[in-house]
Amino acid sequence: MNAPNTPNTLSTSSNPTCAIDVQNLTVGYGSNILMQNLNFSVNNGEIFVILGGSGCGKSSLLKNLFGLYQPLAGDVLIEGQNITAARGAERQKIMRSFGVMYQEGALFGSMNLLDNVTLFMQEYTQLTETQMNLLARCKLDLVGLLPFESYMPSEISGGMQKRAAIARAMALDPKILFLDEPSAGLDPITSADLDSTIQDLSKNLGITFVIVSHELASIYAIADKVIMLDKDAKGIIAEGDPKVLRDTSKDPRVHQFFNRIISKDLA
Amino acid sequence: MSISQAISPVSDPPVAVWLQTDANNAKVQVGGNVNVYSLGGIWTQIRDSQDSWLKQGDSKSKSLIFDASKVTFLDGAGIAFLIGIEEAQATAGAKFDLVGLDARYEPLLKEFNPISNLFPIPAVKPQRSFVVSTGMATQNLIDDAVGLISFTGHLFSDLVWSIRNPKQVRWGDFVNAAVEAGLAALPIVGLVSFLIGVILSFQAAIGMEQFGAVSFVGPLAALGIVREMGPLITAILLAGRSSAAFAAEIGTMTVNSEVDALVSGGLSPIRFLVVPRVLAGILVAPILTLYSDIVSIFSSMLTMLIYGIPFVNFYNGMLAAVGIEDILSGLLKATLFGVVVSAMGCLRGMQTGTGAAAVGISATRAVVSSIVMIVLVDGIFAFISYKTGF
Repeated sequence: MNAPNTPNTLSTSSNPTCAIDVQNLTVGYGSNILMQNLNFSVNNGEIFVILGGSGCGKSSLLKNLFGLYQPLAGDVLIEGQNITAARGAERQKIMRSFGVMYQEGALFGSMNLLDNVTLFMQEYTQLTETQMNLLARCKLDLVGLLPFESYMPSEISGGMQKRAAIARAMALDPKILFLDEPSAGLDPITSADLDSTIQDLSKNLGITFVIVSHELASIYAIADKVIMLDKDAKGIIAEGDPKVLRDTSKDPRVHQFFNRIISKDLA
Repeated sequence: MSISQAISPVSDPPVAVWLQTDANNAKVQVGGNVNVYSLGGIWTQIRDSQDSWLKQGDSKSKSLIFDASKVTFLDGAGIAFLIGIEEAQATAGAKFDLVGLDARYEPLLKEFNPISNLFPIPAVKPQRSFVVSTGMATQNLIDDAVGLISFTGHLFSDLVWSIRNPKQVRWGDFVNAAVEAGLAALPIVGLVSFLIGVILSFQAAIGMEQFGAVSFVGPLAALGIVREMGPLITAILLAGRSSAAFAAEIGTMTVNSEVDALVSGGLSPIRFLVVPRVLAGILVAPILTLYSDIVSIFSSMLTMLIYGIPFVNFYNGMLAAVGIEDILSGLLKATLFGVVVSAMGCLRGMQTGTGAAAVGISATRAVVSSIVMIVLVDGIFAFISYKTGF
């Protein structure tokens, strides 16, 4: 486990096993700094989970990782390429190598599920419509939404929208998938199915997952490695295997999180 | 093979080759990095070859081997490619064998069993007959009319309620709406009124000059402005700016279930959202109209200077033609326009469906309905004016 704000040894950008390398990253908005001097790396094919209490900046960190927001300081290297420094076409090229699922799904409301999934294929591949539709159906099948391909996003439930968003993120078979709270709001069976799909994709296709999640059951089931963020420490307070952290961590904040202890009981 | 090799796409096309040994036996030799990009083009070629092969002779005696032994990496698109070929064989009743696929892709392939689910029979859209379409359109029209009538009823009862309980009206919202619809509209209303004043006078003067009646242009233009043009300019600008804004604002609230939250909290959304905005419309429409009248008449005066009519003559002529009742009639009409425009904006906002596109549709509908209602109210008003002389 790392002490707060203690930088790890910098991993080099040429490290072939490293999918994402975060170097001295400071996340925030203007003068409001959420996270300071973060250093961590995500290995290829790893399921990497970002944990932390509500409002500690997990989603903001994620958006900094995939280049939607510009970090206040530091660098994010995606497969050795610095997305923070990249501009224009170069940045778009890096962005094409990963898929993102947003917390609210963010499906395009004017298109049905099949069109939502094929949209990026239409732009970036030379497949025909029939081929794209078959591919999109495969993606929808993976998240259990095959019967709903012609539904509009507004006609399905919130949990289904999330799953459809995962299917869309996987449309181009990216090497890295960023998922913002994928299993929140899903029923236990769907959530477990989703976990198993994530594991299959990671194990068989070598896809790297960076997931923001609160669902402890899901985290124990799938995470290879977690980092835990803390609002007050403005940094990483724990790093490693979630089960090990649960059983061995001496840090009261980590212990409280993993064992679901009520704050007033702690005091 | 290490994962990093799989991750970096190798560009060594073609990833798939069609090999036909004899009339009944063929093979798809797949190799290298089979992904969504490298399959572009090749997929179509292989499927075309397969289809023409299957069409020749008895397809039931044909056998295809999908040889994946040279694959270094296969992504989801590669699996879809395989499934597409397998399905084409199955549909034709021909044999299909998969050989040499790395065991690590098996679990993913199994996810799609049975693959026939991935090929739904396209649903035939039921054709609607003319009678049904007409009936449905009529039903929509009736529903819309019923919605409008019931909304008007609710709005009136809540307006009466707000007069009796002025302390409970959301005056903060009222002020915001009034500032946004009124104060912020001053520049555009001023500009449009000025230009309309100039155009109206010029056009009139060109015709009147032929009869030597240029001195009558001022009174005529002024009368037209206070009775008709001022209220209309204001109302149409209000429809374009504020009605659309109200519809978009309330529409977004509807999409985000904020209106549902008001209803489930026991609050009337009309009282809460519509009344302050309609009151703001009632306040700002006549004020903006008066401002528009003044600007238009001033611009008309400036224009007539070109034709040698001094300010004093214009003013005296105007006093003779335009009475206080003309101005009041224009302002009363403007007030009605204010009610109609703000209420239509709110109504369309509350009728918003789901999704971002629905908000856009609501804003458009708000502007269109507002303008239709403006013309309707103007027509009714003109009829009443004609009958009563007001």
